Amino acid sequence: MDINTKALKKNAFRVTKVRGITASRVRVPGGHLPTEYMGMIKAIADEFGNGTVHITSRQGFEIPGIRYEDMPAVNERLQPIIEGLNINQQTPGKGYPSSGTRNVTACIGNRVCPYACYDTSAFAQRIEKAIFPNDLHFKIALTGCPNDCAKVRMHDFGIMGMSRPHYEKERCVGCEACVKKCRTKSVEALTFRNYKVERDAKTCIGCGECALACPTRAWTREGEKRYRLTLLGRSGKKNPRLGVDFIKWVDEESIIKIILNTYDYVKEYIDPNAPGGKEHVGYIVDRTGTEEFLKWAMRDVELPKGAEVISPLYWGGIRYR
Amino acid sequence: MMQNEYVPFFSEVKEVIRHTDIEYTFRMAYEGDVKPGQFFEVSLPKYGEAPISVSGIDEGSIDLTIRKVGKVTDEIFEHYEGDRLFLRGPYGNGFDVDTYKGKELVVVAGGTGLSPVRGVVDYFAAHPQEVKSMTLIAGFKSATDILFKKDLQRWRKVMNVILTVDSGEETKDCKVGLVTEFIPGLELSDVSKAAAVVVGPPVMMKFAAGALLKRGFAEENIWISHERKMCCGIGKCGHCKVDDTYICLDGPVFNFTKGIRLVD
Amino acid sequence: MGYYLKEREADRFLKELSADYELYAPVKMKDDGMFSDTDTVRYGKIAKASDIVFDEKSDYSFKEVLLPLSETLFFFTENQMKEADGRKKGAVIFLRSCDLHAVKRLDEIYLKNGYEDYYYKRIRENVKFVLMGCKSCFEDCFCVDMGTASADFYGLSMEPKDGGYQLDNKYAEWDGILEELCQEKLPVTPSTVTETKVRVTIPENLTLDVAKSGMWDEYDGRCINCGRCNFACPTCTCFTMQDIFYTDNGKVGERRRVAASCMVDGYTDVAGGGSYRKKNGERMRFKVLHKIYDYNKRFGYHMCVGCGRCDRICPEYISFSGCIGKLEEAQKEVENHDAE
Repeated sequence: MDINTKALKKNAFRVTKVRGITASRVRVPGGHLPTEYMGMIKAIADEFGNGTVHITSRQGFEIPGIRYEDMPAVNERLQPIIEGLNINQQTPGKGYPSSGTRNVTACIGNRVCPYACYDTSAFAQRIEKAIFPNDLHFKIALTGCPNDCAKVRMHDFGIMGMSRPHYEKERCVGCEACVKKCRTKSVEALTFRNYKVERDAKTCIGCGECALACPTRAWTREGEKRYRLTLLGRSGKKNPRLGVDFIKWVDEESIIKIILNTYDYVKEYIDPNAPGGKEHVGYIVDRTGTEEFLKWAMRDVELPKGAEVISPLYWGGIRYR
Repeated sequence: MMQNEYVPFFSEVKEVIRHTDIEYTFRMAYEGDVKPGQFFEVSLPKYGEAPISVSGIDEGSIDLTIRKVGKVTDEIFEHYEGDRLFLRGPYGNGFDVDTYKGKELVVVAGGTGLSPVRGVVDYFAAHPQEVKSMTLIAGFKSATDILFKKDLQRWRKVMNVILTVDSGEETKDCKVGLVTEFIPGLELSDVSKAAAVVVGPPVMMKFAAGALLKRGFAEENIWISHERKMCCGIGKCGHCKVDDTYICLDGPVFNFTKGIRLVD
Repeated sequence: MGYYLKEREADRFLKELSADYELYAPVKMKDDGMFSDTDTVRYGKIAKASDIVFDEKSDYSFKEVLLPLSETLFFFTENQMKEADGRKKGAVIFLRSCDLHAVKRLDEIYLKNGYEDYYYKRIRENVKFVLMGCKSCFEDCFCVDMGTASADFYGLSMEPKDGGYQLDNKYAEWDGILEELCQEKLPVTPSTVTETKVRVTIPENLTLDVAKSGMWDEYDGRCINCGRCNFACPTCTCFTMQDIFYTDNGKVGERRRVAASCMVDGYTDVAGGGSYRKKNGERMRFKVLHKIYDYNKRFGYHMCVGCGRCDRICPEYISFSGCIGKLEEAQKEVENHDAE
């Protein structure tokens, strides 16, 4: 058997522990898909695989038990899924292009969840279009609100939804439902004074609890979407650590630009001898210094009014050695 | 021009009588008809309003006995030096003394409950010939909580006054025990026609009314006065509504037959 | 008199009215919902006919126009009280039949029931009502059973028809302009709903004893006492007074009233720390019986107009009409209990 393992890995297949057998990896950007594609995945698993599917930790499906020689046939069968999920692809019919950059994951977001501040899957799909295909090792995740169900702080770029609260004093009847919710569920940014509510903008994390609690629509969410962007969290064998806050109240445009800029930075500074050509962004930043990274990342970025850049940035984390 | 009931008027503080550390009577300048048991909304702008029942009525003045128990009353105690308070009222029905004329009358009052009935007691103290007999049972927590001490001395001369405290030392003029304990022993010539007025905390009113019924009083001869959050005083704000009754309009004084059926 | 107006003429009519009146109607409020990317329909000022939302029920009612959620009564300085100014213009309010019936309830409390309310009256005197006909009921409506599905005491009716609007006018002073603008004069009867999906029957033998039923207990746990049902209700009229000061040590401030809810903590607090109806079930009972029992006892007709807004707005899916449906059994329960 003569198989180019390097090439198949770049085609979203895997070298498994079973000789002669591969697995196909189906990415679902934003973790949301029409059910018709599930039927297609099932058909591939039944026909070419072993009749099982693994739901991956990054919101994809891995179809195990496929023979290497069936890869072209599988790729053909994957084509409608790739098109349907709007995946950037160089050559139609040749399967998923892959990929040091991992599937962009998202919590269920505001299509379903009452707490979510935006449509996480839609934003994930927008990022997908901007960055794929790409061989560099990037992990990006989106979560609807500061509850962070998607655990975005474990990612190079963590995107957390924020709702900028809007207070219409004239509609406030002083029931204090917002004050109580902010105190018990969030950061205690609201105080009741002179029968109206005052918000400490520095403390507020934009979780939206006030807008949820308000019975009269005195508190609502401003329509313009804003986010908290966290930086350079990671898992791994050297120094796993949580991503730290980078920009509060940042907008979508800036986030996408910062991510694309970071690809340029990585291309410039990645260790040419990194195993498999993959190196976590964070280790590169450790080497170049944060200043140099920020110089690249913020190139031509015009932050929206009200965005707060946190500086300086410090990471901690666990060091195994 | 429409009457704006919400805008209060100034009233001069003519005298302040300190009963206890937390209970003062403010004698306020007031000209106009008012009945005992009615109430005024007393306010200090900036701090809000509180419904206070009329505890005395005199030529050109009314007494408002205020217990310092909340934000507004705290401030009134601090700031009355300004020599005037803002008032709206009088509101509510109040006690109608005519109802009790010619009867054997028993007034049972607990704590500040003595305020709204003080006008009734005072009236019959001044016109003792207008009732067949008059008994006042006034109960307080302890000797230091006793209100209207001078009045009590004065009333003793013209009526049967039973002053009692929940706990403490018994003295010549003051017994120890709950007001209800003195009801069974009431001497009355015809209890079925006797009238009673009961005012005090809800629990006290419940047990005192029970004791009166047991003693033989007819339900329709017992009157009580309710306290609720009377915010507007004029039947609008809804806070004092109980069943189909607006305490501020239809009360606060109720015949027992109606008053007891008010379910909050 | 009935008229048919095309869109452009309808807009011109509204423009004419806006010389003397602010026009209030249910409008779409973008991003106004409690959840992100959700809207509400509630009362706002309109400039043209297409601003009016005819095909949805408003989440909050018209009452905010007559009884603002927060309303300054007067200003005070150390020595003076100054009454807050009234509105310069009158108001034209677009509302449905159930809501027009609700106006009668607001009037009952604010113009009668002991005293006239100065602030309500001065707004109310300059209000005109436009009935929005209902072609069909919405999910939670039960107006037919509450007897509020039709209202012939409107001043003007207006509803969309064939790309324009049909109107029936009873305000004599508006006939001139309508005649001038209309494409056609024709007899117009506002659309009326004759049946609703939700049905209610209020037991006739209901007594206050039903308060003792166990039916209220389930609401202790289910209700979160947020008060949305009250704030959205077109017939809830309660308020609380607030005194505020403009500076920490200043002597200048204002007294205002804000909408109050009998479901929310603090509603019954009396000075000294006492309060009544601590449990949510007791509050539910107090509210429900007011709407369909004790208001009727005092004023001779039910307070609830069956608009169903309380059902629709409840985040805990507590149904008011569903609660009415439990009353008959509850009344039996307390009667049997007493018989034992």
